[in-house]
Amino acid sequence: MTINSLRFEHLVRGYGGLPVLRGVSAAVASGETLLVTGDNGTGKSTLLRCLAGLLAPESGSIELTEDGTALGTGQRRSRVGYLSPELSFYEELTVAEIMRLFARLRRVEPHRADELVERVGLPSGRAGGALSSGMRQRLRWAWAMLHRPSVLLLDEPFQNLDPASEGLTRDMLNDHLEQGGMAVIASPAPLGLSNVATRLELAR
Amino acid sequence: MWQRVLNWLADVGVLFVKEWRSELRTRYALNTLLLFALTTLVAVGVALGPLGTSESARTSVLPVVFWLILLFAASAGLPRAFVHEEESGTATALRLAATPSSLFVSKVIYSFTLLLGLEIVVTPLYLAMMELSIEDGGALIAALLLGGLGLAAGSTLIAAIIAQAQGRGMLFSVLAFPILMPLLLLAIALTRAAVSGDGGTTWATEILLYDATVMVAGLMLFPVVWNP
Repeated sequence: MTINSLRFEHLVRGYGGLPVLRGVSAAVASGETLLVTGDNGTGKSTLLRCLAGLLAPESGSIELTEDGTALGTGQRRSRVGYLSPELSFYEELTVAEIMRLFARLRRVEPHRADELVERVGLPSGRAGGALSSGMRQRLRWAWAMLHRPSVLLLDEPFQNLDPASEGLTRDMLNDHLEQGGMAVIASPAPLGLSNVATRLELAR
Repeated sequence: MWQRVLNWLADVGVLFVKEWRSELRTRYALNTLLLFALTTLVAVGVALGPLGTSESARTSVLPVVFWLILLFAASAGLPRAFVHEEESGTATALRLAATPSSLFVSKVIYSFTLLLGLEIVVTPLYLAMMELSIEDGGALIAALLLGGLGLAAGSTLIAAIIAQAQGRGMLFSVLAFPILMPLLLLAIALTRAAVSGDGGTTWATEILLYDATVMVAGLMLFPVVWNP
């Protein structure tokens, strides 16, 4: 099994002079979950964006390691499975077209995309713009899992999901962890997760 | 090494197909470019027409008007290349899944093919409406191909720069002046050479150099403006 770890230390990030993250540090290893909680505006989403390589921290370090090798920011972007409410897909393309497009870009076999669409129970021929908010969230899950990422970065992962869909996505998360993956989950609420290794509470 | 090149080319192809598939379903850029070009074409045709310009002024004036039509049509439609990705929230997925260089090149090729389609419609109409005869067809084709490529590359680069900024419309105009002005002057000169038959090898070479410069600058700058 591949031994992976994600460690970030003293992360600082603000917006226009307004500090949001003030020296945040934590680590997570294979099979573990890091739960980041805090009120609105405490920087949970900002932290996940920094970890995904979508936002550069003003100071501090982020290190994703696979089998003892630290990956650069570009490699980190390709190894994370990112799920966020801000993540949108092409409204004019169908679910199958969206997933196959990203499967090709991620160098994943097309049937993996089809399998995930089937697993999350989405109608493959429906246009992205015609999906309900719960379906969009399931599409985000399928997209995040597409390339078998080593670390899942999940920002409010069960938002808009009905109980059946939430159970399904929790199973997907557990499968990911059992296979040696890591997860960083940001949510204002504890989410009732039982296998959390580390908790990080952010405050204003 | 070769596998990486093939993978990169495959990414460009996949993203290019995505651009056209999206465009054919929404027809935003197609409609914008075509309607803008046809409107200005008719306005210019009625105002100047074949009789509205003296024979001596035709060679110098009409190529200028022709490229202004193409420039403003492109300015109306092409800046959407990246703005739409940012506004609709699809940029995040692309940032994580695609390499910046393959994305930039696919957008340039998409814009280029869009402009080529526009030129195929507008050029014969313009020549017919103005009764403008071409002495050197090769020079005209070179002007359309090389000028179109430069316009596509320059517009895509500007679109990438402005995509994450406020006041995008104004910024496009501000950046378009220094970036696209040299191309515009060269393309006009080459089109004049096509009309007069004076030979435009020098102008064509200079446009080719401009295109290469903008493409290289775009490939170097784009990862910086696209990623944090």
